[in-house]
Amino acid sequence: MKINHSLPLEYSTHQNQMNILGFWVFLGAEIMLFATLFSGYFTLVNRTGNGPTGADIFEITPILLETMLLLTSSFTIGLAIHAMRLGNKKAMNVYFVLTLLLGLGFLSLEVYEFIHYVHIGAGLQTSAFTAALLTLLGTHGAHVTFGIFWGLFIIGQLKSRGLTPEVANKSFIFSLYWHFLDVVWIFIFSFVYLKGMM
Amino acid sequence: MEFFERFAIPHPSPAIYASMVAIGLTVIAIVAGLTYFKKWGYLWREWLTTVDHKHIGIMYLISALLMLFRGGADAIMIRAQLAVPDNKLLDAQHYNEVFTTHGTVMIIFMAMPFIMAFMNYIVPLQIGARDVAFPRLNALSFWLFFMGAMLINISFVIGGSPDAGWTSYFPLANNEFSESVGTNYYMFALQISGLGTLMTGINMITTILKMRAPGMTLMKMPIFTWSALVTNIIIVFAFPVLTVALIMGTMDRLFATNFFTSTNGGIDMLWANFFWIWGHPEVYILVLPAFGIYSEIISTFSGRNLYGYKSMVGSMLIISFLSFLVWTHHFFTMGQGALTNSIFSITTMAIAVPTGVKIFNWLFTLWRGKIVITTAMLYSLLFIPIFTIGGVTGVMLGMSAADYQYHNTMFLVAHFHMVIIPGVVFGMLAGLHYYWPKMFGFILDEKIGKWTAWIISMSTLLAFMPMFFSGLDGQARRMYTYSESTGFGIWNMISFIGAIGLAIGFVLIVYNIYYSTRYASRDISSDPWDARSLEWATHSPVPEYNFAIVPHVTSTDALWDSKYNNHVLFPGKYEKIHMPNNSGIPFILSCIFFAWGFSFVFGMWIPAIITTIGIFICLGHRSLEKDYGRYISVKEIEETETKLRGV
Amino acid sequence: MKELLPLKQVMGFAFSMILTFIAVTVYFSNMSFATGMTVLLVTAFLQAGLQLVVFMHASETEDKGAIYTNIYYALAIALVTVFGTLLCMIWGYI
Repeated sequence: MKINHSLPLEYSTHQNQMNILGFWVFLGAEIMLFATLFSGYFTLVNRTGNGPTGADIFEITPILLETMLLLTSSFTIGLAIHAMRLGNKKAMNVYFVLTLLLGLGFLSLEVYEFIHYVHIGAGLQTSAFTAALLTLLGTHGAHVTFGIFWGLFIIGQLKSRGLTPEVANKSFIFSLYWHFLDVVWIFIFSFVYLKGMM
Repeated sequence: MEFFERFAIPHPSPAIYASMVAIGLTVIAIVAGLTYFKKWGYLWREWLTTVDHKHIGIMYLISALLMLFRGGADAIMIRAQLAVPDNKLLDAQHYNEVFTTHGTVMIIFMAMPFIMAFMNYIVPLQIGARDVAFPRLNALSFWLFFMGAMLINISFVIGGSPDAGWTSYFPLANNEFSESVGTNYYMFALQISGLGTLMTGINMITTILKMRAPGMTLMKMPIFTWSALVTNIIIVFAFPVLTVALIMGTMDRLFATNFFTSTNGGIDMLWANFFWIWGHPEVYILVLPAFGIYSEIISTFSGRNLYGYKSMVGSMLIISFLSFLVWTHHFFTMGQGALTNSIFSITTMAIAVPTGVKIFNWLFTLWRGKIVITTAMLYSLLFIPIFTIGGVTGVMLGMSAADYQYHNTMFLVAHFHMVIIPGVVFGMLAGLHYYWPKMFGFILDEKIGKWTAWIISMSTLLAFMPMFFSGLDGQARRMYTYSESTGFGIWNMISFIGAIGLAIGFVLIVYNIYYSTRYASRDISSDPWDARSLEWATHSPVPEYNFAIVPHVTSTDALWDSKYNNHVLFPGKYEKIHMPNNSGIPFILSCIFFAWGFSFVFGMWIPAIITTIGIFICLGHRSLEKDYGRYISVKEIEETETKLRGV
Repeated sequence: MKELLPLKQVMGFAFSMILTFIAVTVYFSNMSFATGMTVLLVTAFLQAGLQLVVFMHASETEDKGAIYTNIYYALAIALVTVFGTLLCMIWGYI
């Protein structure tokens, strides 16, 4: 395997470059996935049947907290990649753990939010609106959950294998994924919650 | 016993019991045969665990041919039922099941693997690569597709076939109107194979962007590779829409949500909307690779370069974008206002333009070419007029005001068969004849091939032209029978004769494969058609590393240049070659996906959870695995090359 | 320690926080729907662009062209899907 030392570690082999490009293409597909969910949500947002509307059930505090947690985690994973490029394995590790903890915090708030919704009579089966809302949020939440497990695997490999081109490549791709989830959340935050409460 | 009752067929008939027995016997025969001839190890090593794009391509090809016969059997049943008025061959429920599986199987499990077969086999060869970018993902794509296909194919013997049409419109497809688990099968089979297709899309795009031979810029790629690139771009952006639509539909059926219901705010039209946002690009996903194959064949057998290469590429890129802008023309009659329908009418007219450009490019390529009529060329030449009939009637359907007259009649059915059969099926058959020597090292018999081409094309006209007339006369699609007084009888009888002709044609193709396998000469060159692009520059059949030396390219017709213009295609000497290792994980993971889908179809939650965990274990295993591939030594390459040259 | 907190990323983070707060004003102040939506659209797309350029390193290799084409293409089709759906499902009936 040819290693090109003029490039950052995560790009150093041809396979690594392909992995990164392939993942970008996958993110293109993810954009369409969420666009479709958003289309469904916007179509169904006023079709609440006998159930509550968005303005009835959304609460600003947990939503703002969730946003802060996710934005910060996006920042820390950026720092992790920066540390990785400096070759500072220890700092990278710390930032990675921090990112996952923030992600976990986000997820627990979201779980709380879901329980709350069900509790106040806005369950999955209540109306077309709640189905679209919970599916959109749930898909994002499932992505975050998957990301946390994925991140754990990477931390493990960082510990056992060190900062090899392969591990660096995986970490970089993970960071792309995590930033992307942040972008999706921004749109959920703006066009689901804030628009709904406006 | 109660547990097993759910697997019973809700609507049995002797034909289904006979199929059950036949499936059982076939499985026993395959298992017994493999054991008797001690082929299990061979099967596992060479096929089930392979990551070689060529083997995967051949598996796609075999699946496509098998599914062609499954879908074809359905087609014959449809036409037989409609051949005479008031026929009692099938009842309404069976007829629904048969036309549903006919459409689903033909589009998703016949046409898709057919194009995948050629993209997998040919694209890496055309760009001078050793394999695709992610060989193991490629194997996973295939096996996911395969398991999806198996899922839909066991539906009619376990639990019941889907019966809501291949479009599976809600509210018809909800639990109230489709009580059997058939529609669940539809949802999960499409979901699983759709995942595989999406992965292929990502894989092929990366392959084409990053693995081209030195000197091959984007505008020097062979046209089939261009068509594959554009197709895969459409795949990547269209399939997620289907994924979401299927998730919503599944949730409506299994978890009683209200996306597509008529209560609590649900809106059934949203399904149609999502389905066609995926469905219309899907049409172009199928037809563009076929266009690519036609371009290769027409240019090869006209003995000249493709006319208007740049406009070909440009029109494909325009099609890739416009294909996402026309979906509403599938439901003009759903009640949107004149403005919405007009917008989509105009985009629909617009997309006919780049397609027209391509037709003229082929005609100009033929102009003053040294035309050689082979079977592949014959299919390509027959395609142009027949496809034009389909295309022009499509423009008729695209006018929203007029569409109210044609919608849901046999006119529509005639239109899309006239597009898809010449556009896709002829293209794939042409590709089959054209690339067969590359894949297997001998040429399919030309005489049988040409007879078949004529039989298939004339039968296509015979089978589908009458539907234009009966459709304009008011015969609705998806009706299991009609009365004698309607006067549709004669048209449908002609169609039935055409359908039999098509069946004969497809049987002849299989006979041709059998005949040529036995009798055709193996003594052919690696370039039997005097072709132009890189896939013909290596041996037939292709060694596992494709090219002993990476080719250098300076134009779209690299091989032609090396044959006639003193271009040095393979500079340098042998070097060791890096190849990926085989892996059983894709196959095992896909088997788990099959069990996962099956559990969900029947709402068996404990196995569903276990298989979900199984899927994640496989993913985790992949993450932790260290697999850096292997090298083929220079000595090995030399030996293989000497042997293949027959020195 | 300082080299582990690069200015570019810290600025990016600060900017993204500011954008969030601007977006939240649509909740706390009494804007018309049109103004509110404009604010949300602007902040959301700026935020997305920020992540793309500052954090995701989209433009640092030779594949830059492919990556941006991919993202813009996806974005264009995504917008067509969202607005086309709204046209067919809601607006088109008026």
